[in-house]
Amino acid sequence: MRVNTSKFQYKQLETYKEILELHHIKIKTLIVNIINLVFAFVVGYFLLVTEVEKVMFVGIIFMFIVLFIVNIALLSYNNDLYNNLKFSMYINTIGEYIIAITLIIIFQTPSMFTLLFLAYAITAIYQDYKVMITSNLALFVSGVLLVLGFDSIFSIPGETLAQNNFIIVFLVLFVLLLTLSSYILIKRKTFFYNHLAQIKESEIRNMNVLIEIEQKRTKKSLNSKEYYKSLELFSKELSKKIGIENIFSRKIQLLRDLKKHNPTEIMEKYPEYTQDEINELKVLELSISHKIRNLGIKASKTQGINVSRKEIFSESQFKSFKHLNDLNYVKIISFVVFYCLIKIDKPYLKELEESNIKDILLNSEYFYRIDRDIIEVYLENNEVFDTIVNDLLKDRWTYEKSN
Amino acid sequence: MKKVISRITNSEFLTFSEVLRLKVAIVTLFLLVLTLLSIPLSSFNDFTIDINVFIPMALGLLLLLTILLLVVNLNRSAMHFSIITIIVLTLYYTYESNHFYGYMMFFVTLTIIIFYQDIATYLLYGVSITAYGVYYIFEKGDAIVGLNSINTEISLYTYTGILVGFYLVFLVQFLISDNIYEKMNNEWVRMNKILEKYQEFSFRHMVEMLEENSVQPIYKNQKFQQTVSEICVFINEFFEKDADNIAEVVEYYFFLHDQEVDHVIENKELSITARRYASQLSKYLLNQRTEMVSMLFDFSTIFKESTDFTENRYVYNIDKLFNNRIDKLLALAMIYKYLKTEITQFDKWGNVKRILTHEDITEMFVSKEFREFISYEQVNFYLDNEQLFKDFL
Repeated sequence: MRVNTSKFQYKQLETYKEILELHHIKIKTLIVNIINLVFAFVVGYFLLVTEVEKVMFVGIIFMFIVLFIVNIALLSYNNDLYNNLKFSMYINTIGEYIIAITLIIIFQTPSMFTLLFLAYAITAIYQDYKVMITSNLALFVSGVLLVLGFDSIFSIPGETLAQNNFIIVFLVLFVLLLTLSSYILIKRKTFFYNHLAQIKESEIRNMNVLIEIEQKRTKKSLNSKEYYKSLELFSKELSKKIGIENIFSRKIQLLRDLKKHNPTEIMEKYPEYTQDEINELKVLELSISHKIRNLGIKASKTQGINVSRKEIFSESQFKSFKHLNDLNYVKIISFVVFYCLIKIDKPYLKELEESNIKDILLNSEYFYRIDRDIIEVYLENNEVFDTIVNDLLKDRWTYEKSN
Repeated sequence: MKKVISRITNSEFLTFSEVLRLKVAIVTLFLLVLTLLSIPLSSFNDFTIDINVFIPMALGLLLLLTILLLVVNLNRSAMHFSIITIIVLTLYYTYESNHFYGYMMFFVTLTIIIFYQDIATYLLYGVSITAYGVYYIFEKGDAIVGLNSINTEISLYTYTGILVGFYLVFLVQFLISDNIYEKMNNEWVRMNKILEKYQEFSFRHMVEMLEENSVQPIYKNQKFQQTVSEICVFINEFFEKDADNIAEVVEYYFFLHDQEVDHVIENKELSITARRYASQLSKYLLNQRTEMVSMLFDFSTIFKESTDFTENRYVYNIDKLFNNRIDKLLALAMIYKYLKTEITQFDKWGNVKRILTHEDITEMFVSKEFREFISYEQVNFYLDNEQLFKDFL
């Protein structure tokens, strides 16, 4: 059973996730660079103490300098910063390993070999899939090659070749553990971005649902004419009070016209405004853009909402039909009630076709909100579910007034 | 195995407890391999036969205990036991032996502790194992210094520096991710509450609409109850021989809609089972804004048409939305007008009928929370011209 959760995901999700992530990549890039700077100083000091050849000293320090220059250049080039920073992540990852391997080859001691683990730790800060793959591969391949190709590194008094081979076994286990650990952590992290981006979009859509139900019930919608009229009166009095000419009226007239005329006509009628200024005004318009309406809804409903630390990590925040401690009957009943409700007409959602329901339950996050055994029963027997609903419930309930 | 792989690949959809359970299961598997490895490796050590037999047995027992704790769902305790097991293993691999692979166990142990992503655990066990690692290097480190080393002391410092560095870099990683994800989680929980607020209003409109149309709520509809009952029995047939038992709980579920659920849960005269069901089913009732109602509204949003993403799509601050001062002022006036004209609140009977007064709006505008929407400059402008707002908008 292949689940494709992205099939029914909001179309705005990906772009917003990128914006959210960008801010955090900036912080991580900065921290990795600070660690690299400290690392560079420690390595520099170490190379001086061990009195290595000048050319090696210069070579290693040059590698650090190149890394810093590339990072600064990518960070300062603002065009497509997201991809620049991603690129700088990969450069840093490869750079860390190149420096570590060079140092291991120069000194050829087991203590230096552990530098590979430190390189891994630094790159783990990024928590990124591609970095994880690169880093794990680099750690494993370079580790194994060094054990096999440079056995002098592990020349320890009393140590046999067989014992050295166990290093590879430990390395395999270590890398496997790191891979699984990073994979799960990165998945969870991506999920956070996904969740936050999703809930932001969900907010707009929930406001639309609220307005849709309200309008269905009250048969009234926002009276934009009345708003503009009040706005005109208000601005007239305000201008009078401040002692200036009414600088608002032309804009208010433009707001009225935005609904009536197309963009070209607007540009012709209001030549004193640039396209950018008109675009900004469009946000204020009440019938095309819902920004002001949404701002009003949000402002009126969100006062006094506080979040405690206990709530942040509480599982009860996740809405589902499979809460950990719930009894099996509860999991079944909750899913079935939900299923039956999406099969009937509601003011905010028309009844859905069975094929459509199956598709969504299989290819959306709802698949994971339902107990695995229960959803499997449904997916294998959905025709039975459909038949029961059609036989018993179809057209037996309506929210509309019956005549 | 297939199930474990599927859980790993879909781990983002698991709850915190489920993820912890999965992590302990993975770690236990690794511990099992490392414990088994200790048997052939014991031939490289100078332990007495008692230790070579006793330690793997003790490790086996610890593993068994971890598995038992997992089975009874005591995931956190299982996590601690798995960490203790790996620490014992590390002590075993490094005590009286001088092999490089034994030294690698310090990194493996730290990785396992990191894997659990719990700052307190990392500070407690992580510091202990790193401190023991440093002690090991200075006490027995000479034995793992390579023949190529120019200077033993430098080698020991390199070992120490890298181990401590490994611990510190992961600590930094912890602090960053903890901070970032706590903030994101915090924002998500807050948004969740905001959504519930919208859904409460949507739900109330629905109730009032049904009342105005003289329509019975769906949960009172006999056919709906019968449909739910039949499908539940059908599903239950896959899990129990006596599938009809669930029908009684379905009946109880609908019965709860006419009761004060909190009273039912607190009523000590009722059986524990009845109270337990009431508590668990209360999340899915249809007569108030519950988890079920929220999920229905959320589900419906999948089908709603919406405009494409723009940079200011999720921005609700006037200062960030507009550059022009006149536009900002017009927006402020419009918000005031919206709050003063539209029905946005519940009245004292819980119906959506109340409009905010000028005084309510002023209180909102000056509140700290409202800086999310308007700036201090705009509040000051509002206060300076309050009467105009009141009279003409």
